[in-house]
Amino acid sequence: MASLKRSVDSDPFAANISSKVYVRSTKSGKVQKIVREVYLRQDIPCSSKLCQSCLKATPRDAAGRPIPFVLSEAPAGTSVFTQGHYLVPDTNAFLSAMDLFEQSSAFYDVVVLQIVLEELRNRSLPLYNRLVGLTQSEDKRFYVFFNEFRLETHVAREAGESVNDRNDRAVRKAVAWYGEHLARTKAKKIPAVVMLSNDRDNLRKAKQEGIHACSLAEYVKQLKDGDRLLDMIPETQDRDVIKEKRPNELLYPEYFTMSKMMTGVKSGLLHQGTFNVSPYNYLEGSIRVPAFPKSLIVPGRENINRAVDGDLVVVEVLPRDQWKEPSTKVIEEDAITRNENPDAEGGGDDAVSEKERKALQEEVRRTHSKTTEGHAQPTARVVGVIKRNWRQYVGHIDQSSVSKSAQQGRKQDTVFVIPMDKKIPKIRLRTRQVAELLGKRILVTIDAWDRGSRHPVGHFIRSLGELETKAAETEALLLEYDVQYRPFPKTVLDCLPKEGHDWKVPESLDDLGWRDREDLRHLLICSIDPIGCQDIDDALHCRPLPNGNLEVGVHIADVSHFVKPNNAMDTEASIRGTTVYLVDKRIDMLPMLLGTDLCSLKPYVERYAFSVLWELTPDADIVSMRFTKSVIKSREAFSYEQAQLRVDDASQQDELTSSIRALMALSRKLKQKRMDAGALSLSSPEVKVQMESETSDPIDVKTKQHLDTMSLVEEFMLLANISVARKIYEAFPQTAILRRHGAPPKTNFDELANQLRVKRGFELSIESSRALADSLDTCVDPKEPFFNTLIRILATRCMMAAEYFCSGTQAYPEFRHYGLASEIYTHFTSPIRRYADLVAHRQLAAAIEYEAVGPGVRSRGRLEAVCKNINIRHRNAQMAGRASVAYYVGQALRGKTTEEDGFIMKILSNGFVVLVPRFGIDSLIRLRDLAEPEPEATFDAENYVLTMSGSKELRLELFQKVRVRVMDQKDETSGKRGAKMEFVKAY
Amino acid sequence: MASTQHVLLSPAELAYLHEALSLTPPIRPDGRAPMQFRPLVAETEILPGTNGSARICFADGTEAIVGVKAEVERTRGYHGDEQEEGGEEEEEGGEERREGEREGQGEWVELTVEIPGYRDDDAGTAFLAAMLSEALLADGRFAKKLWISRRFHWKLFLDILLISPPLSYPLPLLSLTTHLALLSTRLPRLKSEGDEDPFFDDDWAAAPYLYPQGTTTTRPPITLLVMAVGRNIIFDPSKEELAVADVVLAVSVGEAATNSASTKGKGKAIGGMDIDSAAAQPGRSLRLLSVRTVDPPSRVTPPGMPNATNSAYGVAVSVQKQPEARTVEAQAVEGVWKAPRGGAKPAVMAALVQKVLERGGVADEVLDALEAVELG
Repeated sequence: MASLKRSVDSDPFAANISSKVYVRSTKSGKVQKIVREVYLRQDIPCSSKLCQSCLKATPRDAAGRPIPFVLSEAPAGTSVFTQGHYLVPDTNAFLSAMDLFEQSSAFYDVVVLQIVLEELRNRSLPLYNRLVGLTQSEDKRFYVFFNEFRLETHVAREAGESVNDRNDRAVRKAVAWYGEHLARTKAKKIPAVVMLSNDRDNLRKAKQEGIHACSLAEYVKQLKDGDRLLDMIPETQDRDVIKEKRPNELLYPEYFTMSKMMTGVKSGLLHQGTFNVSPYNYLEGSIRVPAFPKSLIVPGRENINRAVDGDLVVVEVLPRDQWKEPSTKVIEEDAITRNENPDAEGGGDDAVSEKERKALQEEVRRTHSKTTEGHAQPTARVVGVIKRNWRQYVGHIDQSSVSKSAQQGRKQDTVFVIPMDKKIPKIRLRTRQVAELLGKRILVTIDAWDRGSRHPVGHFIRSLGELETKAAETEALLLEYDVQYRPFPKTVLDCLPKEGHDWKVPESLDDLGWRDREDLRHLLICSIDPIGCQDIDDALHCRPLPNGNLEVGVHIADVSHFVKPNNAMDTEASIRGTTVYLVDKRIDMLPMLLGTDLCSLKPYVERYAFSVLWELTPDADIVSMRFTKSVIKSREAFSYEQAQLRVDDASQQDELTSSIRALMALSRKLKQKRMDAGALSLSSPEVKVQMESETSDPIDVKTKQHLDTMSLVEEFMLLANISVARKIYEAFPQTAILRRHGAPPKTNFDELANQLRVKRGFELSIESSRALADSLDTCVDPKEPFFNTLIRILATRCMMAAEYFCSGTQAYPEFRHYGLASEIYTHFTSPIRRYADLVAHRQLAAAIEYEAVGPGVRSRGRLEAVCKNINIRHRNAQMAGRASVAYYVGQALRGKTTEEDGFIMKILSNGFVVLVPRFGIDSLIRLRDLAEPEPEATFDAENYVLTMSGSKELRLELFQKVRVRVMDQKDETSGKRGAKMEFVKAY
Repeated sequence: MASTQHVLLSPAELAYLHEALSLTPPIRPDGRAPMQFRPLVAETEILPGTNGSARICFADGTEAIVGVKAEVERTRGYHGDEQEEGGEEEEEGGEERREGEREGQGEWVELTVEIPGYRDDDAGTAFLAAMLSEALLADGRFAKKLWISRRFHWKLFLDILLISPPLSYPLPLLSLTTHLALLSTRLPRLKSEGDEDPFFDDDWAAAPYLYPQGTTTTRPPITLLVMAVGRNIIFDPSKEELAVADVVLAVSVGEAATNSASTKGKGKAIGGMDIDSAAAQPGRSLRLLSVRTVDPPSRVTPPGMPNATNSAYGVAVSVQKQPEARTVEAQAVEGVWKAPRGGAKPAVMAALVQKVLERGGVADEVLDALEAVELG
């Protein structure tokens, strides 16, 4: 009987075939034996320019040219490897110190082993992407060597060997092979091949095998600017050291094992969710889990158990006697832990310091004194972390944590970094450059948080510049909100039209660009935008028809003509998702050439557009509508103010002005219809920072004024968006990109409704948007015109966020846009600055059969991924914009003190929050700042009244109007300059 | 499927065969001794994607492949909401109770047999599958091996394929191949503890064998085919021999863990054969797991006709055929083939079973031979 098995002896190619057998556990709980055959080859080049033999064997491209080799023939040397060297890092080196490899001063000629790259991808996708970016950059000379497929470097797993050990052995084998291989080239100077690893065992074995190997720290010390780079090496956590610690020195409870957590979550005993830290109290977190309608509270440091804001954690509900009310007290980390010593490993004997305990005790006492127990909310403790969501954090070194001696020498010192984001705990950092880094904005990352240390440990990445310089603060903002602000790469710029700024709409109507395009150049089209707007997305026209009706057109920049699906520019735009507007800076989604010139519907020139044309009756009822690609020529680009003046000026009787007047009349009727349907008019405190034109230093802050021309444009954009949404949904019921705004859950309004009932006797009904709109209208204080706006601001904060989605993922009733009271909605009108609009353009073009249906239009999976990304980008862009305004408001106030009126919008037991409409800022005023010593206060949480006695007699209540002194103040701990308010008097 | 394909032998040939096999000692057509097995060739782990596999070729050209695949399955009837008992109790009774609870269920093993040319719901195929799984599950020890935790177990899929035409009754071949495949079966190593969701070692090399090697006490059962002609007992019958068998038995035996273990299987065993009382005897102690009588093809063979009633020999055919035919069959005529009728005699049955279980007997020999097959 001939054996069925592959025989090793008889097969001449047996040596070239190896198989990998392992067990794979899938998410659904299946356990499979996986067999992979590996075909080993010898033509995978080493890619060193020294090597001639590989050059002969290397695979060639279609033109017969070999793929150019990457590694330099004369690599740089270090103090130890003077002959020059190639680096071969292991996975942990990349995992812990990717920032080092991105340095421009060192780390050239790196061999990235396939096995390392694969392992990195499994461990951290962002890091993997960064490494792939490095391998693509030509000047860094990173070469991916497929060691698993090269005969000489393939390593089979041995009996009883763990995967990690096998991979380490594979790395060592590759290093050894490179060494031997290069030695055979007989070059004059043969570079050393150096393995980089932080694994002690791996290093020891490498030494035994006679391979060059260094730990990261050893290696960096050999470099010229080693001291500087040394700071970027993360804290090496020696596992052995931790184990040696006596158990009573461990401050935090141990995490459950992954399988225990999964079992618990599946059986419903444990709950999984994203951990959020309260913005007012760093010792209290909350977590929303699918099992309960309301969030669970995670009180205290021990229960938070090393979770950081944004982590995906598993929690266990605490027994009923430990339930509590959400904190009404401000507890800020810096105030309580100010005097901690960063050098002390464990700090005291407990995770919870004495002071923190006191703060908590007061909470408990207050909860217990309540007669109504119904207020207590369920609490939970963190038992494990599924996924850390650590990113890079912007912060600055806490001045008070720096010892005197550290400010002079270059000795390594441990300091605290206070992140800009108050929800992130202090990070312990070891650095040699304390003196340089003091007073700078720095970027750090968290490496680990083990049970023995009260604060997480991190390492320094780079310095952004002096605190409060415009460049540093702007970059800090962009980093904090994850805005891609690097210049567009060459691959993206290559996608632009070759003509550059000279591009024109072709003259000949036979040109391909004119195919299926309507010539609308004869129409009197104009655009109305904010002052100084360069990226003009939209333009309008209106003309009477013979039958007494009106033809109205909305013309949107035809961005999809220039940005073809799936090229580099499209990919970049989909990643950026949106243009980010800061006070003095705009981070574009598309390259300038398109955004501000070729796509922008500038006046007096012909431009491609995507037009929506309606026939409306004088009562603004739609008779018919159609969509077409077109060529337009805008007659004028107005600012809102100019347009308003023109409309108001009765002497202007030209055709263009009267068409704007007609649009204005229609827009009022449209708005009325929308309001009747229950659209909400919400409010947020918007301000505008006025800049000095030359230095662009902020000089004043103004609240934004609302003009009729703004709502004119808004109404027609809404109409266009709704019309387009209907059309693309009709054409692609499964894959249309739409925007929805969910009805807010009733519980969101509980507190506001209660506050209004208790304080003013208003009833807030929230059954529908209509009811809410009506009841908001009744919330009027005749003496205080701003009161209604205040309520609207508070109501806005109770709303859900609107989101993009793919129509197949929701049922039709869920499409509803709550705020606009529209059944269906999308974004179509700003393709220059929003990616969603660009997708809607492509879908509409396919729906009117202008172009073929592309995969980006019909693939639901891809659309869902796009929606997910742009939802996040959109939110981040909004927050970055707001943070930028807040920063400039602070700068504008610098050195000035003004008295302003404000309103109490939140009341706590030891402070209250005041909103100043003039600047659109709200700030906390603590009782201890009112008088010295801190006045005694009794807080009536049910009536929202805070009564002070002792050093200051005062009674404050919610919604009360107060006079405050606003001045600028640099917050010493967060390093932010912001408005500080001082209480002057109550009205 | 009958126990073999219809054998194209004339009544005279059948009669001759029967006669030869009834002699003492019997003379088998291929010259084997009555207890002698045909030579076989075996190899294991031929299918890399399975948890265990084997292939056996018999000298008569029949060949079978068995693949074993395992899947994690949730145990029905367990609701994981019970709270943990108090710590002390856990400490005390934990180990014992856990042992006690390790109970396997027959449905954890799914066995399919495929015979070329037959539908998978063919009665014969189904009977083969039933016999094989019956032997496997007879003592409950096998299913116990599949226990992971109170909430999970392995579900084993045995795919048994005959890849040659069924030249002789394939039961022994399939049984031996299954035995080897199970011996080579490995299950991923469990890393989690207690009743957590199971979590396994990703290293296949670390996966333990379902039947730990080196210990002879635990091995999968084998099913042997034994037949009797007259008083002669013949092992591993060929298809021609089956065609004249008086009785055919499928006997499943397993190894007894200890001497006393043989009494455990008494529910299944037919007759009291306390054969392992002689502990000093060489060889292993075996226990009987199941016995099935197989319908021998000899029963459907056409009868021979004595010359006395054969019209070809000039005998006048009587008008009343039917009663005559009956009398013909009722009388045994020397040298004329007559299909066996009626059940086996208890004494023959007992002798058959005893022969199988004999220390150092045929079953022992077969197990020894299979043990010699290298795993991997």
